[in-house]
Amino acid sequence: MMQDSATSSFSELYSAYAAGRLDPAFALLLETQSMLRPDVRGALAVSEAISGSLLESAEPVQMSAGAGARALDLIDALEAEETPATRAPMHDDELADLPAPLRDPVLDALGAKGWQGTAPGIRRMKLDVGSDLEVELYRIQPGARVPRHTHGGKEFTLVVSGGFSDETGSFGPGDLAVKGPEDTHQPVGDAGEVCFALAVRDAGLRFTGVMGLIQRVLGK
Amino acid sequence: MAQIAAKKCRDSFAVVFDFYAPRVKSYMLRLGANEIEAEDLAQDVMVTVWRKAGMYDRKQASVSTWIFRVARNRRIDKFRQTTRPDLDADEPMLRPPDIEQPEAAFHRVQIEETVRAELVKLPPEQLELLHAAFYEGLSHSEIATKFNLPLGTVKSRIRLAFGRLRGRLDPADGPPDDIERDMT
Repeated sequence: MMQDSATSSFSELYSAYAAGRLDPAFALLLETQSMLRPDVRGALAVSEAISGSLLESAEPVQMSAGAGARALDLIDALEAEETPATRAPMHDDELADLPAPLRDPVLDALGAKGWQGTAPGIRRMKLDVGSDLEVELYRIQPGARVPRHTHGGKEFTLVVSGGFSDETGSFGPGDLAVKGPEDTHQPVGDAGEVCFALAVRDAGLRFTGVMGLIQRVLGK
Repeated sequence: MAQIAAKKCRDSFAVVFDFYAPRVKSYMLRLGANEIEAEDLAQDVMVTVWRKAGMYDRKQASVSTWIFRVARNRRIDKFRQTTRPDLDADEPMLRPPDIEQPEAAFHRVQIEETVRAELVKLPPEQLELLHAAFYEGLSHSEIATKFNLPLGTVKSRIRLAFGRLRGRLDPADGPPDDIERDMT
């Protein structure tokens, strides 16, 4: 049984996120996963509550005289200038169903370079989230095969909807597949619905001696 | 906060400002901003709080947690100093979804209450590490260096503290057992 899996486990990923130091690509991965997974959502909520409580108990440092009044002046000034209409977002019925954190960068990318075909039934789109890492959304049709590939570095793939399977197992919504340079695989879209997956790649990501464990955790 | 959002109440804003601006300033100073930057950032954060007050939902987070988030995002814009994770095998993120955990098991209001109640009870040696991780945003290895502790000690203390804040008085603290069990 895994009744305590999420609670007994914790690492710096969540504190880095809560404190605002997590790389934006991983922050997006984590936020998206939290929309799909109550346990991850819970871990994030606890983490942010910790940060918030610590702010409350921070030793206050006096603001300069009249700071509050100046803030209100600034507010008046900002409200005087009518905020311009926000950009008209791209619309796409299918993508509109993506979890909220993912939707904006995806619709931005759709308006920029858009989808690229990779293989029959496989499309991918590069997302710009302000990270040095490579971030891509995959769209995999049922039965479509992602060409067999290896990885220069580590690749983290989060299934957002639908599912895919490879030699190591099947991955469904909320599952995160981690592949390294030593892995060659050929994911195939599961039957049923179209699979959307978010991939984050980095050649230089380091692991701390737990790679074997990670592989076993994921190799269901 | 509701008064600020609905009625644009300046008195309520003044109360929020007086409490939080000096704390946000303190936060920015701790993260390496100088006096002037910290003051400006605190101002900025409070102006954002006014403008976004309509988005605040007290069922989702305490005011402190929400304002911290605003401050954190300003910090990200300002410092652009990010880190990459050293993923641990026992990350919830890497595990298969725990379908047994009912959604109802976690309510944000309850989470906030538990965190607050348990935070004040933490032994100092756990609290200071939690502070370094969740408030200052240091990685575990940075914390180990700063406090001159073995990395394993840092990880186990933070894990222990985190377990308590999740409302587990007796957190299962041995990931190897858990992991082996979950493998099957």
